[in-house]
Amino acid sequence: MTPPTDLSMAEDIAGGADQAPPVLSPKTRPAAPASGAAPSSRQTQKEATRNRVIDAARELFDTQGYQGTTIREIARHARVSVGSVFTTFASKGEILSQVMEDRLDGLYAELDRVVPNLRGSTSDRLRSIFAIHFSFEARRTRLFLAHIAAAYDWTLPPAARPMGRNPRLIGIIRECFAKGIADGDVCPSVEPQEAVDLLMAAYVWIYRMAALNGADAPEMTSAMDRQIGLIAGGLGPR
Amino acid sequence: MIHSQIKAVADDNVTKAPTRRALAKQQTRAKVLAAARRLFSEQGYEGATIRDIAAEAGMSTGAVFANFTDKSDLFREIMLTDMVALAEAMAEGATHGNGCEDTLLKIFGAGYRFYQTQLPLARAAFSVGWSPEDGPALRNAPPVQTLLGLISEQLTRGEQNGELTAGSAEPLRTQMLFDAYLSNYDQAIFQGWSIEALEGRARDQIRILLAGARRK
Repeated sequence: MTPPTDLSMAEDIAGGADQAPPVLSPKTRPAAPASGAAPSSRQTQKEATRNRVIDAARELFDTQGYQGTTIREIARHARVSVGSVFTTFASKGEILSQVMEDRLDGLYAELDRVVPNLRGSTSDRLRSIFAIHFSFEARRTRLFLAHIAAAYDWTLPPAARPMGRNPRLIGIIRECFAKGIADGDVCPSVEPQEAVDLLMAAYVWIYRMAALNGADAPEMTSAMDRQIGLIAGGLGPR
Repeated sequence: MIHSQIKAVADDNVTKAPTRRALAKQQTRAKVLAAARRLFSEQGYEGATIRDIAAEAGMSTGAVFANFTDKSDLFREIMLTDMVALAEAMAEGATHGNGCEDTLLKIFGAGYRFYQTQLPLARAAFSVGWSPEDGPALRNAPPVQTLLGLISEQLTRGEQNGELTAGSAEPLRTQMLFDAYLSNYDQAIFQGWSIEALEGRARDQIRILLAGARRK
């Protein structure tokens, strides 16, 4: 497996040419249990259907957008019946959540490896973390925008919040601030939650540049860099 | 109730022959807009069809299309009307502020109060705002520029009265303050936050965004 070129930045940051190539999406599918009883054919069948639906949905959301894609089309592309889509997923929103979840597993596996090796000031480290996100998402901009559009979809069950809550990214940023405070780089009186919220808001809104102006990863990254600079300007030791 | 009011107005118009046609057209528009507002609030932007809106307004789809080019035209009209009123409410809020941070907070609070009773419509607006087709018209609408201008004005005032360092009123800071204001609607829409909770969060956000600009 060759490492995807657009994560070369992450590789550089980690200085990890000698490390294992990043495992990225599509997520390695859970294989059938390696030992013990052979999986029932029903289980494998269900797993196969799920994977086909996810693969078809990823392509359709990315080419046609979220609103423009119907469950019926997803079923047709996946070569399964509409009924069997619904035995696995409750709604279109849930399929999208799963598509994003699978993709992000790859991204965060990579970040877990890269982040501990980041050097520099808190804002430098934040910039690297977001740059990795933009270069990852910009490969499938429409898919990410579908993710955003779905957040306001009426058909979503109240519990589903596909966008805006990203516990893994929030955790990474929190750690970044904690390290900043430990290093004397960030004022200890800063309430991390508010800073995290602002960064997350900035991160999500920057995709507006992609949605409305067709901005690419470098453009989004440089806009984010400026915003991080402004936020960090208010967080330093007084 | 709205229907009976409109009917009463319509009956009055019979006597005012010269403007009757124009008034009738205006009333049709108002009826369609009221119906559309209800349906967008109940079913979201995607969920509401022109056919449903026409039925809700008690007229044919043809009559709707005689007044609006399409659904996005209809939605834009509703949003623009609201945004003009929103901008006025926020400008009024600004007059109660004391100092840069507090004035910005009063502006934001006025906005949250304005949308407090129509959050479903705000949700539909966010959804449309992200769409590549209809988003730009909404985001670049003149009332949005007015809101940005109002925020920028507070920063400039802060520079002038010595609260903030020169150059603090940069477009980036203005935009980020506006984005922070907007981002809190997620809490209002999805988590039912109270106005007080939204204001508390906005206050902290404003503090961080102004911190780097304060005179030390």
